[in-house]
Amino acid sequence: MTSLRELQRDVGRALLGHGDEAAAAAVVEDGLTAQARLGIYRHHVFTTLTAALQATFPVVGRLVDERFFAYAADQYIRVDPPASPCLFEYGATFPAFLGGFPACEGLRYLADVARLEWALSRALHAPDHVALEAAALRAQLSEVDGQEVFSLDPSLSLVASPWPIDRIWRVNQPEADPDATVDLSAGEVRLEVRRLGDDVVFRGLDPGVFAFRHALTDGYRLAEAVERARSADEAFDLPAALAAIHRDGLLAGIARPARSAGTERSGGRSADPANRCQPSPHPTRRADIPVWGE
Amino acid sequence: MISGGVAVTPGPVGIGLRAPHVTEIMADHPRIGWLEVHTENYLGGGPAGRTLVAIRQRYPLSLHGVGLSLGSAEGLDRRHLARVVELARRIEPALVSEHLSWSVAGGVYFNHLLPLPYTEESLALVTAHVSQAQEALGRPLLVENPSSYLRFRHSPIPEPEFLGELARRTGCGLLCDVNNVFVSCANLALDPGAYLAALPPAAIGEIHLAGHARNDADGQAVLIDDHGSRVAGPVWDLYERAVARFGPRPTLIEWDTDIPALDVLLDEARTAERVLGRRDAREGVRDVAA
Repeated sequence: MTSLRELQRDVGRALLGHGDEAAAAAVVEDGLTAQARLGIYRHHVFTTLTAALQATFPVVGRLVDERFFAYAADQYIRVDPPASPCLFEYGATFPAFLGGFPACEGLRYLADVARLEWALSRALHAPDHVALEAAALRAQLSEVDGQEVFSLDPSLSLVASPWPIDRIWRVNQPEADPDATVDLSAGEVRLEVRRLGDDVVFRGLDPGVFAFRHALTDGYRLAEAVERARSADEAFDLPAALAAIHRDGLLAGIARPARSAGTERSGGRSADPANRCQPSPHPTRRADIPVWGE
Repeated sequence: MISGGVAVTPGPVGIGLRAPHVTEIMADHPRIGWLEVHTENYLGGGPAGRTLVAIRQRYPLSLHGVGLSLGSAEGLDRRHLARVVELARRIEPALVSEHLSWSVAGGVYFNHLLPLPYTEESLALVTAHVSQAQEALGRPLLVENPSSYLRFRHSPIPEPEFLGELARRTGCGLLCDVNNVFVSCANLALDPGAYLAALPPAAIGEIHLAGHARNDADGQAVLIDDHGSRVAGPVWDLYERAVARFGPRPTLIEWDTDIPALDVLLDEARTAERVLGRRDAREGVRDVAA
């Protein structure tokens, strides 16, 4: 007799289409085969998870057709089923899956549109954000040395694409002009997505500001974020970028992870799990860090 | 935390709160005894949680979980339980419920209420998990009977006895989904009247009602608990028998697929109220909502 743990693993494999012999052997047939009984559960798993993906990626659903979406979702669910009972958290890897899905090769922008949709969904459900007040911010920034790790609005995502995914998204909204077209050669976009109040919004950013905010949301130290911003835009203006972060109400806190000897990897972590500290491959230059001024 | 909200005691009949009805309910405040939401839809930040707080100011709420996976051999997901506890702290719900099922194995969440074999091993496991959840929540849980499409070869304890023993061991209440009793008994060739008779009336804290579909699988009729239609006639009959046996209990109309206009749900709720009213007339009780 199998243990409950083994039985649940067997049923789980059957549900994901990875073989139902072991699970079927444990099921009473009684007028309907064990496979048919397990199939009722499998059908529910796939239809509800497909519906969850359709709800998160409606524009992807419009760009392909419903049957193709269901096919792609079916393949994705088999290889990357949910890990969380909150289905709004399911689908983070769906854009990458679409990017590598041979059947999508003809729609090269599809994965990037999916990245934008994931960022929109993530923003909608992100934890509520409280921006650091100006006085607290000034106090925190009075002694910056580049080693700081900023925690920004948790709803913030930065999405870049060589395709005009913002236009593609807009013309595929239900209320959009059905005759609207998108020039796919319109060039790259760098989008910032976040929630403001109850609304999720996105807008384009300059290359330097985009790289700066992107590095900060990835948990890089301030000095490294500045390096990355300067790589993207030689004219990157740090005081202006810091003022904009404050003006946009993006900053939730500043941590100063302790430095381990001889390495750029941060020794401490912020209490915020989103605040991921990455090792920096470059030495920091203290002179890069200006005094905060409004 | 809720301040100035309504009393937490649910009225006799509530409905499942679904997204298409939220605006109308908040604008018109129709007469509804209470509202039930799926816990997992409100565990993120953003507007969903704020809406729930606003609704809670007007109506008693029930948090109905689908993701705790009380029957998982791998143990409860502590992070998930902590999020449920935090939501319950913010919302102060009238009722908190979950299912006698599992939905997680090998770290995968299947988004389905999967059946357990009813064994001593399962009973000990679910008992431990219900106790763990109740300790974390600081309140009793109501545990719902699932709708079933299969049973396991080695499952010696009948489901209602399993639920009764679970309630005795943990002090949890039971949520009797009358439609699930009907669906499971039809699919597994069991007697729904005998099922109700085997449940301990004192443990029943809530009743669910919903529609089901009749599908064909390999030439055999299978009832599917799809919550996509009005409550079926035989299920209303079974509800009358449940109310006669258990007494008046907070009753919920659930509707999850092909969601109709709010009026249809309210109409179903009025039907349930009439059933409760008839029972009260017989018992000489003046007001079940009191």
